[in-house]
Amino acid sequence: MAQQAQPLPYGVGRTSRTWVAWAVLLAALAIAGWYGWSREITEGMIVTGLRNIGPMGGATWGLDVAFVVYWVGVSFAGITVAALIRLANLTALKPIARMAEALTVIALVLAAFAVMYDLGQPFRGIVNLFHYARPQSPFFGTFTLVISGYLFASLVYLYLDGRADAAELAKVPSRLQWFHRLWAAGYRGTPAERARHDRTAFWLAIAIVPLLVTAHSTLGFVFGLQVGRPGWYSALQAPAFVLLAGVSGVGMLIAIAAVVRRTVPGAELPERVFHWLGTALLILLLAYLYFMVVEILTNLYTGAERERDVTRELLFGDFAPIYWASVACFVVSAALLILRFVRRTAALPLLVAAGVLVNLGAIGKRYLIVVPSQTHGTLLPYGTGSYAPTWVEYIEVIGLFALGALLLALFAKVFPILPLNRATEGGDAA
Amino acid sequence: MRRGVIAVAMVVVGFALQAVTYLFLATPIGKPTSVRFSNPRVPFAPALFILGVMLVFIAAIVYELLPERGDRRGREGEGS
Repeated sequence: MAQQAQPLPYGVGRTSRTWVAWAVLLAALAIAGWYGWSREITEGMIVTGLRNIGPMGGATWGLDVAFVVYWVGVSFAGITVAALIRLANLTALKPIARMAEALTVIALVLAAFAVMYDLGQPFRGIVNLFHYARPQSPFFGTFTLVISGYLFASLVYLYLDGRADAAELAKVPSRLQWFHRLWAAGYRGTPAERARHDRTAFWLAIAIVPLLVTAHSTLGFVFGLQVGRPGWYSALQAPAFVLLAGVSGVGMLIAIAAVVRRTVPGAELPERVFHWLGTALLILLLAYLYFMVVEILTNLYTGAERERDVTRELLFGDFAPIYWASVACFVVSAALLILRFVRRTAALPLLVAAGVLVNLGAIGKRYLIVVPSQTHGTLLPYGTGSYAPTWVEYIEVIGLFALGALLLALFAKVFPILPLNRATEGGDAA
Repeated sequence: MRRGVIAVAMVVVGFALQAVTYLFLATPIGKPTSVRFSNPRVPFAPALFILGVMLVFIAAIVYELLPERGDRRGREGEGS
């Protein structure tokens, strides 16, 4: 007798008209981003606002590199949360472990695309990185260790952590049964298999934490070790990169968790998840604001002449609107989080607003880390430069956001975005 | 038992590959006084380093997925 198809949990395998409309829109935007990239490949970097530093008075790194840094930063929180859930047994955060892992993988894919957008000849660039890159160089750590090692580690973690749920879904007849069987790879949920997975996940988490701290620090070192570039050369760059990565990543995770809670059928994320994330975001944000104040004071008070020029440019010059808008985003977010903390409520709208605002602030800060030191930080006697992104760069960035949202939406339709064992414990979701 | 041995071996080989690549195959460490500090001693040494990182993490998949002899016999028994 043929088995009757049953609905899979959390809307897996089912799409509504609204979902399809959103997917089509996001796909169109992602394709528009790739179209922008195709203009770069066919016409060269002249279609971007990037120009040589010094004689051409421009910046060789612009919006795309700012978003490489941003997306790598966003990836930080996902796998950190997943690893901490395992290492510190943070059971309160278990419901968001899957989406956190997926966020990391997707953010790193977007970072890889942003790297390729920045390279004039992407395939030659990629081949050269693997051929010639110096493992001692922070560039190696960022563009090869992060994108391949860290992405690969996160994929392995996501895959192994999802096997138990895949095995559950594989028992249900559906169009995706083959996919779930493939993912489960023979998992039967025996005590021996569960114990083995616990061991593997524990050691994977232990291995991933130093890898991700190394990866994010090397990204900071790309800027922080450049002694000839005022505004970049700072011992605070690496820890500040890790902190801002945590801020933007946790903020993004809050926003995604809120969207999942509202749109995914049966996804009743408990408020304590948001309490945890809100508190973590507040601590990270306050620490980052402290770093910002220390950096500005040091540069203005004792910095070399060119160092002070770059800092003044940030505070009062061409970049001041972006700088103060970023500061405002961080301060308002901190105020919202403190308000929520004092009132001891989840206050989800406040939390989501803070999550979105810190991401806007982080984008602004990433841009300010990348650009001003190139246009205003030359030690050679060149005049000040300028950089204005073109429509090609803007459409690439919009395309990346759309691609990320589309990948997450597609993932949620082929695999449960929340772990199923929560349904077993709570008995409400599936 | 076999699974554990293979996984540990992969982790050891992975870390060894990273160390060997970093110290002996990639561009020499030291003050860059000549052109030999610009190129890797073995072409695609950085790719080998990445392979070492990947090998360490593939060990986790091998440890979880590789069936033990006893497991296979158990499954065959269940099947019949």
